[in-house]
Amino acid sequence: MRVTKILLAGVATVAVCAAQAAVSQAEEVQRGTLYGDMTIVSQDMLSRAASDGNNFLHTNGNYDQTRFYPNKQINTSNVRKLRPAWIFQTEVVETMETTPIVVNGVMYVTTAFNHVYALDAATGQQIWHYKHKMGPVTTYCCGPNNRGVAISGDRVFMGTLDAKLVALDSKTGKLLWETQIADPELGYSETMAPTVVGNKVLIGTNGGEYGIRGFVKAFDTQTGNEIWTFHTIPEDSVGVWATHDATGRDMLRDIEAEKAALKKMGDPYKTLGGGVWQNPAVDLEANRVYFVVGNPSPDLDGSLRPGDNLYTDSLVAVDLETGQYVCHFQYIAHDVWDLDAVSPPIITQVKDGDGNMVKGVLHGGKTGHVYVHKADDCSLLRFSEAMVPQENMWVLPTKEGARMLPGANGGVEWSPMAINADLGLTYAINLHQPMTYHVESTPYPEGKLWLGGAFKVIPTEEQWGNVTAVDYNTGKIRWQVKTEQPMIGGVLSTAGGLLFTGEGNGQFKAYDAETGSVLWNFQAGAGVNAPPSSYTVGGKQYIVVAAGGNTQLDYKRGNNIIAFTLAE
Amino acid sequence: MSFRFSVPNSMLTLGLSIAILSAPALAQDTLAPPPEIAELVDTCKACHGDNGVPVQEDAPIIWGQEQYYMYVQMRDIKAGRRKSEIMGPIVQDLDKDTMKALAEYFSQLKWPSLGYSTPEADIPVAEAAAVAGQCPQCHLGAWVGNSRVPRLAGQNVQYLEKTMLDLKYDRRKNAPDVGALFKDMSDEDVRSLARYAAGK
Repeated sequence: MRVTKILLAGVATVAVCAAQAAVSQAEEVQRGTLYGDMTIVSQDMLSRAASDGNNFLHTNGNYDQTRFYPNKQINTSNVRKLRPAWIFQTEVVETMETTPIVVNGVMYVTTAFNHVYALDAATGQQIWHYKHKMGPVTTYCCGPNNRGVAISGDRVFMGTLDAKLVALDSKTGKLLWETQIADPELGYSETMAPTVVGNKVLIGTNGGEYGIRGFVKAFDTQTGNEIWTFHTIPEDSVGVWATHDATGRDMLRDIEAEKAALKKMGDPYKTLGGGVWQNPAVDLEANRVYFVVGNPSPDLDGSLRPGDNLYTDSLVAVDLETGQYVCHFQYIAHDVWDLDAVSPPIITQVKDGDGNMVKGVLHGGKTGHVYVHKADDCSLLRFSEAMVPQENMWVLPTKEGARMLPGANGGVEWSPMAINADLGLTYAINLHQPMTYHVESTPYPEGKLWLGGAFKVIPTEEQWGNVTAVDYNTGKIRWQVKTEQPMIGGVLSTAGGLLFTGEGNGQFKAYDAETGSVLWNFQAGAGVNAPPSSYTVGGKQYIVVAAGGNTQLDYKRGNNIIAFTLAE
Repeated sequence: MSFRFSVPNSMLTLGLSIAILSAPALAQDTLAPPPEIAELVDTCKACHGDNGVPVQEDAPIIWGQEQYYMYVQMRDIKAGRRKSEIMGPIVQDLDKDTMKALAEYFSQLKWPSLGYSTPEADIPVAEAAAVAGQCPQCHLGAWVGNSRVPRLAGQNVQYLEKTMLDLKYDRRKNAPDVGALFKDMSDEDVRSLARYAAGK
């Protein structure tokens, strides 16, 4: 009997091995090409992603972060024929903010709580599934989100809720290395997708609601070793005692009281927040990265953090090789409303004040303005008309609660914008969510939630959202479409003259990029609150998006990745 | 470790009934504690129940509660940031490793069902309060919590009512930003929200 058992076990093992070998061979066949293994992502591919009509290699499309996809097979004249090609359901039914990354027919998506899937982009068939072994301590704001992977060479990279950076083998999903970025007990966590350039993996940190000291770090792609750190909060965070915001409005600061507090308590830089929630734009020509920095800690209580709180609520540029400071522009000094800078910046040519085309940087703010900067020195060229109602700005938070619009979620939240440079338009999705701002001073709680009060949604007031096209050369709104609910997720623009974005009610829509007309829609069954991407396999262009709802706005959860292509 | 208290007979009966009803499921999830905390676990069960159903009227469910949250609560109680006449003396002599071991042990057990239903009248009030306070943003969609954020869904309603009002009136000081959410709510609305969470 014993011999038989061993033999049977042996046969079973052989059978399993044979099956695995067959699966591996099948994958190899699917992934191979006449020219070799094209799943290896070279730096040249990453650098030329803006003109790559087959792949989607960066979270925001390319290093400039335009989210403009250059294929026009799906366009304004045929988008009505767009149909689901496949639906993949993940294991995790929770908030989804992932951008699918596609390399020669293989798609990489992530879920809440840090699962990664590799899928066949033509069929939706699973190739591998990696489940991060989460530590017991996670400290995060706004849901257990993950916004996707970065890819380079033969590996994919992901930040985790327990503040780690992991590198996986892109063929197998096997863990290659893991680096602890910061201490999750102190409020650090990762939800953004990393960005890879050269031998560096760039990643920021969450934690502005927990009294962290923010940063952007560069890690070595091969070893996971740290190359440089830029602290978003300098040791001298005081600044120039700015009394007005970027648009010229008085922020009602009591500068004398702040100066007295500074003298008494010193510079608050160690617990001043300044998270970086989204990917940097990379200027390969100037060897710089541009990113935006989030709110100061505690969010609502300025009494514990005198000064401008540099570089919170700012656009910042640093040197790609060294991480050294290059320039910055602060939108709101000493913010006490959490109307910070989150949506990833976009590099594109813009008109300067004299009408000359110069390299510019765009940012969609939670204030509801699109800010247009000169890339060279970060200076502000213009800001757009307000895309959402603004009322009572900048009333100071009170114990009882002061109503002000926009509410603390924006304007434009973390949702990436997209542009169409031919039209000179940037597309932003906005929230209108009236809130009251309450302040209550409490000391630093060592890693616990530290808002210094509360933001409260006013449940009796109507909430809605919009999709807005802004002419970034004039600051004027070209068109605007109201949506049923506040918008969160992201936008994709295509050479087909289209714009794709989803809603909390499950609607996924295509708009005419020039006019804002809704040309197509699909009900996904759960909130579509993730940025879409596009790719081409076997001569067919696809649009893909995650429909998993959203924790921050409590939109219906799901677990679907849905790829669409034109009906035959 | 010589803590004792008296338990009302009705509570014991209720606890026993629930234990019998759900015994098979719970039995599968019983887990022997590591020897070094076994005696302490017995102490915990005196209030929090042998089967996860609290026998002390306003004691929380700790079976299946988030590990890190429970550790932080013990740490805060020891440091005086959260007052508890019952828990204070118990945790006073515990070191961090013991607290972590206890938290890990109880987090691995299955959350019991108390079978509580939210009264219909509470639902619209609580839903409005949940929108205002954006509760699911931290406690997640099903109010089940994660890591340092506690599970509220299905929690003992008496405990929730008490602790939420303690947060409102700063009697519980170790989560001031949560307390700030309750400040401009009436006590009855806070109770409605507690009953809503308990019935999830």
